[in-house]
Amino acid sequence: MPASSITDLGGRACRDPGPTYRLPLQQLTDSALPIGAFAHSFGFETYMERGLVRDEASFGAWLAAFLGQQLTYSDALAIRFLYEGVPVQELDEQLSAQLLPRQVREASVKMGLRLLEIGSEVFPSPELEAYRDAVTTGRAAGHQPLAFAVVARSLEVPLEEALAAYLFAAATSLTQNAVRAIPLGQNAGQRVLRNAHDGVAAAVERVRSLTPDDFGAVSPGLEISQMRHEKQRARMFMS
Amino acid sequence: MTAVVELVETGSPVVELVETGGFRQAQSPGGQAQSPEARGVLKLVIGERGDRSVAVHQFHQGALRVLRPHYLDGSGQVGYVMVNPGGAYLGADLYVVDVEVEDGAALLLTTQSATKIYRTPGSFAEQRMSIRLGEGARLELAPDQLIAYREASYRQGTRITVHPSSSLIMSEIVTPGWSPEGTAFSYEELRLRSEIRVEDAGLLALDNVLIKPPGGDVNGLGFMEGFSHLGSLLVVDPRADQALADELHALAAAHDALTGVSLTASVAGTAGLVLRSLSNSTGELSRLLNACTAHLRKRWYGQEPLDLRKY
Repeated sequence: MPASSITDLGGRACRDPGPTYRLPLQQLTDSALPIGAFAHSFGFETYMERGLVRDEASFGAWLAAFLGQQLTYSDALAIRFLYEGVPVQELDEQLSAQLLPRQVREASVKMGLRLLEIGSEVFPSPELEAYRDAVTTGRAAGHQPLAFAVVARSLEVPLEEALAAYLFAAATSLTQNAVRAIPLGQNAGQRVLRNAHDGVAAAVERVRSLTPDDFGAVSPGLEISQMRHEKQRARMFMS
Repeated sequence: MTAVVELVETGSPVVELVETGGFRQAQSPGGQAQSPEARGVLKLVIGERGDRSVAVHQFHQGALRVLRPHYLDGSGQVGYVMVNPGGAYLGADLYVVDVEVEDGAALLLTTQSATKIYRTPGSFAEQRMSIRLGEGARLELAPDQLIAYREASYRQGTRITVHPSSSLIMSEIVTPGWSPEGTAFSYEELRLRSEIRVEDAGLLALDNVLIKPPGGDVNGLGFMEGFSHLGSLLVVDPRADQALADELHALAAAHDALTGVSLTASVAGTAGLVLRSLSNSTGELSRLLNACTAHLRKRWYGQEPLDLRKY
């Protein structure tokens, strides 16, 4: 871990490198993190087939809905509850039960298992080992937002920063997938991401006021598309 | 435990309901699931007696009761129709429904008419339902559609506990509720949350529908997408598998509705199927849900499709 103030060879004081979790958080939420996010559209590919997601504006609209609904009410709320001390196994069980579209549930676990594996190599903690152990012994499935939350919390990342980083990482990988699949220009992708900043901030704000009754609330259209993806003939993505 | 208003305990196959003779004429029953302010309470325990299912215990209070039981076919499955004589749910109304289907028994529970939620200013109407299914027990829950009118808020919380060998089919249709000006989605909020747990094993499915038209683009992409009606079918059965999900998906393709079907994770050897559908008419969604239900009734029990209009 870097010290809070470092001195270079020339003896000049460098700027404060920031909190110790800064680089770990950046690594965890980098789109190059090999957890397989490139393989999942979380249902936008179904909208592509229906011709409803076809360009920058329509993908941006889908991303805003996905961010403001599913990611907020499921992933982000799971992260908040974990930070507030709800046992990870309880949240894991609820995620498995409320992610009704099979491909989405399986995507969450597939990426979660990779994150648990990577996390225990690079950011090990007793909490992460306990979650991994629950997964290995069949007491938990291993969901991505929870694996992330356990690591982020062990690194003492403040909740709001963890939420913003998680949500923006999700937006980034989905946008990269859209750039390849629709396709969109690289600059268009960056504009979509810039426009997602407000959505991420609004989601972080909204998560604060949600209650356990809100956990897993679904948006019918998003959910139906995720279910219909199972039956789509030609697909690039696993979800 | 305070006085109980009405209690019919019987082992005979046909149970006649005794009218309570008035709303809230006695003290509320105790018990944690029932608020003393409940506007309607209904309890029903169905058991197997001989070769058919009967109510072995029933209780009702206030604005909820059931009609005389009926048998639609020779399967022994008993049918009950829930009635809300008040006709509608209003602000702060609480309805408590408690249903148990004992080992081996089979129940079809429907409603007499649509559930209508009127204005609930500064408050919400609520229905709390708890359901317990025993070993090999069977429940078909097929209420009429839910209509939420202008400025209505409604919460429906359903907690279901099943045995790994139980069989559950529940359907639900939510309509948009038009305002006098002809605008759809003029209600405040609808929450329909169903939690299905397998006894001694864990949570199987959590279905949480939350629609809040004010301040959100309810017609937009990802939400109702320009459709007005939402239909859901939830099936839990040890025989539920991906092949059956595929069959329901194929059945749905014949209907004018945007439908998705998916299989839940399995818990203790049982699993769930969830069908979600958007359409523009109650009729179309009813036909779709009935077609799926008919498929399962035929496949699993050799029963004919439900024709709820014949009684």
